[in-house]
Amino acid sequence: MTRSDAPIYEVRNISKHYGAVVALEDVSLQLYAGEVLGLVGDNGAGKSTLVKCLSGAHQPTHGEILLDGVARHWSSPHEALEAGIETLYQESGLAPHLSVSANVFLGRELLKPGLLGRMGFLSQKAMDSQAHADLERVGIAVPSSGRSVSQLSGGQRQAVAIGRAVAWAKKVIILDEPTNHLGARQAGEVLQVVKAAKEQGLGVIFISHTLPHVLQVTDRVVVLRLGKVVRDAPTSEFDADSLLGTITGLITNA
Amino acid sequence: MTTTQQSPAPPTTAPTTPMSRRVLGLLGNQQVMLLIVWLAMIVLFTSLNKIFFSVGVAGNVLADWGPVVLIALGETFVVITGGIDLSVGATVTLSGVLAAYAMKDMTANGSGQTITLLVGVLVCVIVGGIVGLINAFLINKARLVPFIATLATLGAAGGMAIVLTGGAPIGEGPPSAITLSVPWLGPFSTPILIVFVIVVILWLFLHKARFGRYTYAIGSNSFAARAAGINVQRHITKVYVLSGALAGLAGMFFYLRLGSGAPTSGKGMELNAIAAVVIGGAALSGGVGRITGTVLGAFVLTTVTSGLIIIGVNPNWNQVVVAVLIAVAAAVQSLRPQDGRSS
Repeated sequence: MTRSDAPIYEVRNISKHYGAVVALEDVSLQLYAGEVLGLVGDNGAGKSTLVKCLSGAHQPTHGEILLDGVARHWSSPHEALEAGIETLYQESGLAPHLSVSANVFLGRELLKPGLLGRMGFLSQKAMDSQAHADLERVGIAVPSSGRSVSQLSGGQRQAVAIGRAVAWAKKVIILDEPTNHLGARQAGEVLQVVKAAKEQGLGVIFISHTLPHVLQVTDRVVVLRLGKVVRDAPTSEFDADSLLGTITGLITNA
Repeated sequence: MTTTQQSPAPPTTAPTTPMSRRVLGLLGNQQVMLLIVWLAMIVLFTSLNKIFFSVGVAGNVLADWGPVVLIALGETFVVITGGIDLSVGATVTLSGVLAAYAMKDMTANGSGQTITLLVGVLVCVIVGGIVGLINAFLINKARLVPFIATLATLGAAGGMAIVLTGGAPIGEGPPSAITLSVPWLGPFSTPILIVFVIVVILWLFLHKARFGRYTYAIGSNSFAARAAGINVQRHITKVYVLSGALAGLAGMFFYLRLGSGAPTSGKGMELNAIAAVVIGGAALSGGVGRITGTVLGAFVLTTVTSGLIIIGVNPNWNQVVVAVLIAVAAAVQSLRPQDGRSS
């Protein structure tokens, strides 16, 4: 494990208001390189809002976001992407009509060299082979990267989506419900990819309702409840019951 | 994940041999089927009336095909993004009329014919582009669905053309306009040859370039496109401007054919264009469509229309036949597994 001393990504006292509704209140958390941080909470606890602030989709009303100790203000997800923060949204997934490699390179297409490239012509062969290599590197075997995503199974699709994020992430990867709707074996593969990302030295934020997965793959857990952090502790301090109790509020700050 | 429109094909099935799979794939390919249907139509019409298979008739079919395919090409990009552009017919009319005024003025002032015609082309493309920009604004900023946004501009542009002209065609342009539409290379006229060049360029841009990749991505899953850092609104704008500009070019095409800008020239053209796109295999739900399909779809459409006239069927049946073609194409589309690969 390559956990370093200074957090790679950090939020300090952020709040997010939607009109009169307070979705997040005074939330702080730190993420270290080579760490998997679990983010859990009931529906409406503020997980999605926090993810959107972390990924640049929303701007917090108050508070600071720091990447490598430097305060950043994301005005769009694109800015956060450029800075090395990949987010896999639960509802986003892939473009089913495009090939695996087209999805892996979506928004970052490789262009042909020279004039053709400047006119926007794609270097399809290079993307096909590199997509295959990138996915293999993070432990995902896809039959053919030229294949349309609509021909893949649900588990394969999710694996490609995560593989894409891990392959591109330079610093942080945020996974929103990555094991949702997956069978046990496929979920296991996804967790393997999460571990691979961690070993690469990425900071991983793992958001999930599936508590056994959280306990299995994370190093530390942050529990959100009604827009606030109610617990931030090493995963080893939780078992399934105590984690569930903290999420639902039956256990208050053990 | 959005799994609304694709039937997952588990990789465990279909241990077919490569050969039989290739044959099946070929038959499952809508473009190949369309080509067969088109060729069958040509054979059928020719067997009913030998005159059908002639340079003269081919020239007529091509002259009908030109404006339809120009509009349909733009519509293909729009439909692949999951949108629709109903304003193209009115754009044909308005751009043709405005270009006619410009060319009438220039001719009256003694400008050269070539420069006058080029200005006409420019006016058409700019007017079409502006209609496209308005469409994009209504969709992106006013948050109207494409159907409503382009229905509004359809009414506005069509109405303006009638107000401007008072209902009469605008002629008195350069006399060489009409001769330009005469075929000189077999059935091919200069405008038709230019249309073929445009087809090739747009094929490259849809299937080989980043522009097309983004077009498919937005129609396939706009959320994923946005998450991948694509500026979806900007791309949508480009696509509607392209559609408008091509409709504008079709307006010039009609001008050259008629020698005037008529306030009715583009009426109903949006339906022909959408028909060509749907017959060509594009799905109005987005993410699916090909340039070759649209080109063939437009050929099928215009071949039927010409063929029915030549074999002596009351031309009023045209619409019925076109309607049947659309229904059949849409049915074939819905039976096929979704697989709109971009290249």
